[in-house]
Amino acid sequence: GKVLVFPMEGSHWLSMRDVVRELHARGHQAVVLAPEVTVHIKEEDFFTLQTYPVPYTRQGFRQQMMRNIKVVFETGNYVKTFLETSEILKNISTVLLRSCMNLLHNGSLLQHLNSSSFDMVLTDPVIPCGQVLAKYLGIPTVFFLRYIPCGIDSEATQCPKPSSYIPNLLTMLSDHMTFLQRVKNMLYPLALKYICHFSFTRYESLASELLQREVSLVEVLSHASVWLFRGDFVFDYPRPVMPNMVFIGGINCVIKKPLSQEFEAYVNASGEHGIVVFSLGSMVSEIPEKKAMEIAEALGRIPQTLLWRYTGTRPSNLAKNTILVKWLPQNDLLGHPKARAFITHSGSHGIYEGICNGVPMVMMPLFGDQMDNAKRMETRGAGVTLNVLEMTADDLENALKTVINNKSYKENIMRLSSLHKDRPIEPLDLAVFWVEYVMRHKGAPHLRPAAHDLTWYQYHSLDVIGFLLAIVLTVVFIVYKSCAYGCRKCFGGKGRVKKSHKSKTH
Amino acid sequence: GKVLVFPMEGSHWLSIRDVVRELHARGHQAVVLAPEVTVHIKEEDFFTLQTYPVPYTKEEYRHHLLGHLQNFFETEFSLKLVLQTMAAVNNVSTFYVRSCRGLLHNTALIQSLNSSSFDVVLTDPFFPCGAVLAMYLRVPAVFFLQSMLCELEFEATNSPNPSSYIPRLLTLNSDHMSFLDRVKNMLYPVPWMYLCHVNYGSLARLASDLLQREVSVVEILRHASVWLLRKDFVFHYPRPFMPNMVFIGGINCANRKPLSQEFEAYVNASGEHGIVVFSLGSMVSEIPEKKAMEIAEALGRIPQTLLWRYTGTRPSNLAKNTILVKWLPQNDLLGHPKARAFITHSGSHGIYEGICNGVPMVMMPLFGDQMDNAKRMETRGAGVTLNVLEMTADDLENALKTVINNKSYKENIMRLSSLHKDRPIEPLDLAVFWVEYVMRHKGAPHLRPAAHDLTWYQYHSLDVIGFLLAIVLTVVFIVYKSCAYGCRKCFGGKGRVKKSHKSKTH
Repeated sequence: GKVLVFPMEGSHWLSMRDVVRELHARGHQAVVLAPEVTVHIKEEDFFTLQTYPVPYTRQGFRQQMMRNIKVVFETGNYVKTFLETSEILKNISTVLLRSCMNLLHNGSLLQHLNSSSFDMVLTDPVIPCGQVLAKYLGIPTVFFLRYIPCGIDSEATQCPKPSSYIPNLLTMLSDHMTFLQRVKNMLYPLALKYICHFSFTRYESLASELLQREVSLVEVLSHASVWLFRGDFVFDYPRPVMPNMVFIGGINCVIKKPLSQEFEAYVNASGEHGIVVFSLGSMVSEIPEKKAMEIAEALGRIPQTLLWRYTGTRPSNLAKNTILVKWLPQNDLLGHPKARAFITHSGSHGIYEGICNGVPMVMMPLFGDQMDNAKRMETRGAGVTLNVLEMTADDLENALKTVINNKSYKENIMRLSSLHKDRPIEPLDLAVFWVEYVMRHKGAPHLRPAAHDLTWYQYHSLDVIGFLLAIVLTVVFIVYKSCAYGCRKCFGGKGRVKKSHKSKTH
Repeated sequence: GKVLVFPMEGSHWLSIRDVVRELHARGHQAVVLAPEVTVHIKEEDFFTLQTYPVPYTKEEYRHHLLGHLQNFFETEFSLKLVLQTMAAVNNVSTFYVRSCRGLLHNTALIQSLNSSSFDVVLTDPFFPCGAVLAMYLRVPAVFFLQSMLCELEFEATNSPNPSSYIPRLLTLNSDHMSFLDRVKNMLYPVPWMYLCHVNYGSLARLASDLLQREVSVVEILRHASVWLLRKDFVFHYPRPFMPNMVFIGGINCANRKPLSQEFEAYVNASGEHGIVVFSLGSMVSEIPEKKAMEIAEALGRIPQTLLWRYTGTRPSNLAKNTILVKWLPQNDLLGHPKARAFITHSGSHGIYEGICNGVPMVMMPLFGDQMDNAKRMETRGAGVTLNVLEMTADDLENALKTVINNKSYKENIMRLSSLHKDRPIEPLDLAVFWVEYVMRHKGAPHLRPAAHDLTWYQYHSLDVIGFLLAIVLTVVFIVYKSCAYGCRKCFGGKGRVKKSHKSKTH
């Protein structure tokens, strides 16, 4: 079949790419649709890259991303961080929106896509652009995502999400919450709603304009046939799910290649102490110098060989045991028996690679869900979290020594690893199965819950409850009135006194 | 590993048996625990049968279990039918309680089971005696079921179950309901709750005695690590579920054998018209004579060869094309390309066999969920439902001719069949995987939702909402009071009048 892929930039693309490769291997044709200006999405032999012009340059895009990352390393209080984060998100979403507008207003490209008659669209709905396009082209969609902020994903799947035991994004709560934590869990999303509103309403108007009718974002997204979530209940807390939600967490672990000569040499030279893999993800290329020096100092104090993915300027105090590389085969290195620990920004990809390879982690969450991820691994005893802003060289040194020398960390991560990897079907196969399923059956309407056709008060049966209450109250009222009337008739004045007394106490 | 199987009687046993066989084939040892008095459970070479004495005879059991089935051919009034169903359920469950008491008070047997150190208990929790046993033995449990009375499977797993779009058992509602349907949907389960309370109450007392602490049925059911549910979203409406619920609907279709010579001969002799398979399930052995005659007459009017599983007395007007058999290989016959239609009582096993073999159905639901099953297949255009009480020979004849000659029925059932069979892993493999999974990991505590530890008002965040409301109201009240006070100060007497006027309207 013919698959139109509309990916999201960054690490999101890296795991979707594996699915595209596998689809190609199974004889499907994939066309990847991307803006001219990208960071990670490049032409490859297993898909056709179709780009569209955007009104910004690569230089500008990169600079913007860099600026965003810088903010993360600056200290600030909660309000400042919140405002800055929302500013970043606004900036990013503005860039993405402009890119989307350019795509959807590109008449000739749309016509070309329309005439290519794709069987399905595979997209990451964090940017709803792909789904708007799919809706316009009238093609079924499969979503590939970690989550959509502000609970849009649970709204669009009609998946219940009781805030009493499901921690909301960025709250850093666990599934067991005290009363006050549950208050926090309920109030926290309100602040995020503001940011989401800013970003998503503009897609709404874009979609309404293109589809020539008033649509809400949730409605547009609700038409996805299958949602492939990069979730796993070893890592995420158990919660209700819907039949069209498929969990493929750890999909990025599947593809493992032998190490290149260069890295093989590093690993072999590490001796009995083994290696520690250190990466802050594909988006973070530079760290403020002072911080980098501190980190370098701590790394120098442990006996392991450090492999540090870092593209910034080399810290002057870098020790001999630390090797700076521009890129490293993270999953392959973590899979090596000599991997002792993993220093990560705790993005979901990294966490999954840590889990599936069973390597204890030192986590330095930077933004977004990384804080939540780190918290979750920490409570499971599989890693130590550091606050990247406040940590000293000693903290990092201690954290590393703890996860390497304290056996419980290794045991815990191995237990998680064995649970995670014990599954009836590999996540990559599962993802490809559902993509092919949607192609074979032209969507999956039988998995669409009827809840989509109800209003919120109907969904919660408030109208039914109101109706039943009205009946009960009417009956009670009538009975009461008749009794009162009867009493009055029987007892005369006395009854009247009683009645007025009664109604007062009510 | 060592598996303790505690099955349910009747067709329930037939599909759990396939799982036991497969577990045996994979090198596990299975011990099937059953009362001395059974209808279907017999010694077989792939498990050890362990029986326990019960305080009733086979005669008595048969009479009570099967006796009430007769009623379903005689009663017409629907309220009466409901009451009868309830009485039947009550009747059967008193037997189960007696049987369960026989087991749990059998100290010698319990001790021997305890010392056998099983790895997992596989049980059908329709009557959760096996679950109590698993709790007592402290062995993790896997449940295997179609559904429970009062939909306890959703309460016990804490799976959300909104009555606004999920039709309740026996209501015959679809997932798209009008306002009055939704009222019905909400009220219908109420009398059942009473019944469940009574039925399961005696079991809960039995369990509380044994475990020496107060337990409710829901708590007993929460002992399950994994729920294997014989449901499928081709047949059931999409709805929320929990991560420890695994859907294995259609598991009974997997086991296919070539036809025996006898049946092969029947099928071959049927010529171009093919065959129609007719069975009212393993529990119905006899039909009132008048009804049987009517059915026999209708069957004689169609050109197909009829294979009728019937153990009652032979109707005198039986036509030549109708062959009465004491037992028939239902799934294998339906899988034969010459199968044209399937007359069924629409028990879930039969429905799944109809779906997976793509044979249109004429349905004569008798009791329980069979009405719902029939309704669902009818709305999907895959069969015709007949009221077994009111139908005449003409009705049956017409229904058969319709599903055989009207192409749309065949097309619809084939579409359902292709959706149903398109799955990443076969249900039998999935069931065995999860049984083994629970053995390997000694349960699945990471799939246990934190919702189990909340009270109902905490779960619905009523305490949090109340708290927030209280704060808002207090603030409003204080602001209002201060304003009122301010006003009074400023305007003197005039303000006072305004205030008292205002508070009256409130």
